[in-house]
Amino acid sequence: MGKKIVIQPVTRIEGHAKVTILLDDSGNVENTMVNVVELRGFEKFCTGRPVEELPRIVTSICGVCPWSHHLASAKACDAVFGVEIPSAAKKLRELANAIAYTEEHILHFYFLAGADYVMGPDADYSVRNVIGIAGKVPDVAKRVVRCRHLGAKMLEILSGKSIHPVAAVPGGFSKVLTEEERNKMLEMGKEILEFAKFSIDFAKNNIFANYLEAVKTIGVIKTGFLGTVTKDGTMDLYDGVLRMMQADGSYEDFTYDKYTDYIEEHIEPWTYLKFPYMKKAGKLSMDLENPVGVYRTNTLARLNVCDKIKTPLAQKELEEYRNKFGRPVQLTLLYNWARLIELLYNAEYAVQLLQDSEITSKDIRVAVTPRAARGIGCVEAPRGTLIHDYETDENGIVTNVNLIVGTTHNNAPINMSVKQAAMALIKDGKYDQGILNRVEMSIRAYDPCLSCATHNLDGKIAVKIDIVDSSGKVIQTFKN
Amino acid sequence: MENDIPDYSKKEFLVLGCGNILFGDDGLGPAVIEYLKKNYSIPSNTEVINAGCSVRNILFDIILSDKKPEKIIIIDAFDIGGNPGEIFEIDIEDIPEKKIDDFSMHQIPTSNLLRELKDFLKIKIKIIGCQPEFIPEAVFTGLSEKVTSSIPKICDLAIEEIRE
Repeated sequence: MGKKIVIQPVTRIEGHAKVTILLDDSGNVENTMVNVVELRGFEKFCTGRPVEELPRIVTSICGVCPWSHHLASAKACDAVFGVEIPSAAKKLRELANAIAYTEEHILHFYFLAGADYVMGPDADYSVRNVIGIAGKVPDVAKRVVRCRHLGAKMLEILSGKSIHPVAAVPGGFSKVLTEEERNKMLEMGKEILEFAKFSIDFAKNNIFANYLEAVKTIGVIKTGFLGTVTKDGTMDLYDGVLRMMQADGSYEDFTYDKYTDYIEEHIEPWTYLKFPYMKKAGKLSMDLENPVGVYRTNTLARLNVCDKIKTPLAQKELEEYRNKFGRPVQLTLLYNWARLIELLYNAEYAVQLLQDSEITSKDIRVAVTPRAARGIGCVEAPRGTLIHDYETDENGIVTNVNLIVGTTHNNAPINMSVKQAAMALIKDGKYDQGILNRVEMSIRAYDPCLSCATHNLDGKIAVKIDIVDSSGKVIQTFKN
Repeated sequence: MENDIPDYSKKEFLVLGCGNILFGDDGLGPAVIEYLKKNYSIPSNTEVINAGCSVRNILFDIILSDKKPEKIIIIDAFDIGGNPGEIFEIDIEDIPEKKIDDFSMHQIPTSNLLRELKDFLKIKIKIIGCQPEFIPEAVFTGLSEKVTSSIPKICDLAIEEIRE
């Protein structure tokens, strides 16, 4: 073995969300800037490659939701080739999507956001983590892992592998589900559904009830929302039309190919990240009192934009949630409640799909032929609307790629929530270490998938805050 | 029940190659796994996985699972300011308590998580690192020559860990 070394406290900051807080002459907050890591250069990297390679390559973008990228990319390829995939192939893709969602939402609720609630937000940091939860509610922790194992195993059965999926291909799906596999998966799916039912009851009785006051105050901003629905307004996570809802609840639906008519990308001089906003608003303003053009995605948004949910138990939960909080809901911490309703929906839908006789059909792929075209594929990723937009030449070689990922849609609202937190905590140049925790909470509410690992496993988000005085000098840095 | 868990949770030894193949030498971990699979006979009690950027998911489930590996060997590129291609071992004990940052850009487990695996669950952890020459800011694939030439040696070290 080579020499042993001690790792010094890191100097690299790529893993951090960088937050800069600018103070005015009197020491109050003038502005805040949240700068998270972005995957740069991917569009250029894809150019010149055969488009059918992209569904396989995009799973390297993000280890958190590879299935979402995989499916959005396969859909964009279908559109580029101009094919309609067989109905059974669509169902297999939807099944993979539903299972991947259950895994992700269970992880987030119990161990990322959940630690604060289960252990209590005032609990010592050292126990607000996975091990802390395992100690406090060991039976629940065991079921969490059991269900995540089941989910991973189901994806393995469905597609051959769960980590870097390759099963969705342009024109359909590459692996037939056998009757035997279906039966095995159905039993597993039913177990996950039981746990999803338990989870929402557990949360309503033991967790949310204790934090309703916090929900009403922390991170509340007024924005519009974006999500996917079918033509009759039913929530859909795999396919449909995009619905842009205003803060007053009015909305417009549009097909994927019109996304550039509805979404404009604003650029700020201090970051590579783009700030999507509602194009029809004419501009983006992140002013806390009078925001213009700001919308949010992810669970809260999807539940706001949909008229109904197609599975019975989740629909019942949606009705209860709406009776309590109205529509649209602006309370940021309710992202967590909405996430559990989505967990239930996905678990129910996976079981429905597995009970569908067509799911074992062998007709799962159509042939594709290269052509010069543009294709836009869109799915709802756990963290928001995911858009893959490809153009190819007559040989099917990629000439242009544009991606908008879930977290990017939430850039503006994340910045606004952080500013709100900073303004409440910095007065006349006075502030303390507590600001770090509050800022972290504001960011975490959105469950951002910062493409390069800002998410630590214990649920903490690595944050570095620079406080800058009116002359531009960094007067203090906080880092967790 | 045994058949309901993913294959990687059943083995005594787990070799995880971590990193993002889209970022130059950060793709070392996946490249080592590929080389191992191609050139070595992997014992049946061992699973070697190209964890890519998904190592978080794998380790998370191991933490609370009843069935745990005896030893986890993690392979990744770490910038420690050494010579490109230099191979080293990192001991968790040496990681400062307060260091909760990620080791590298792309979802390598945090030191907190590794400590939990080791201290609470008594899983042996071995981290084999290699000094990258080039980790680009924008997507750029392919390993540098110096890092590539270290791959066979890293594979030997990983296999030694399994046989120990």
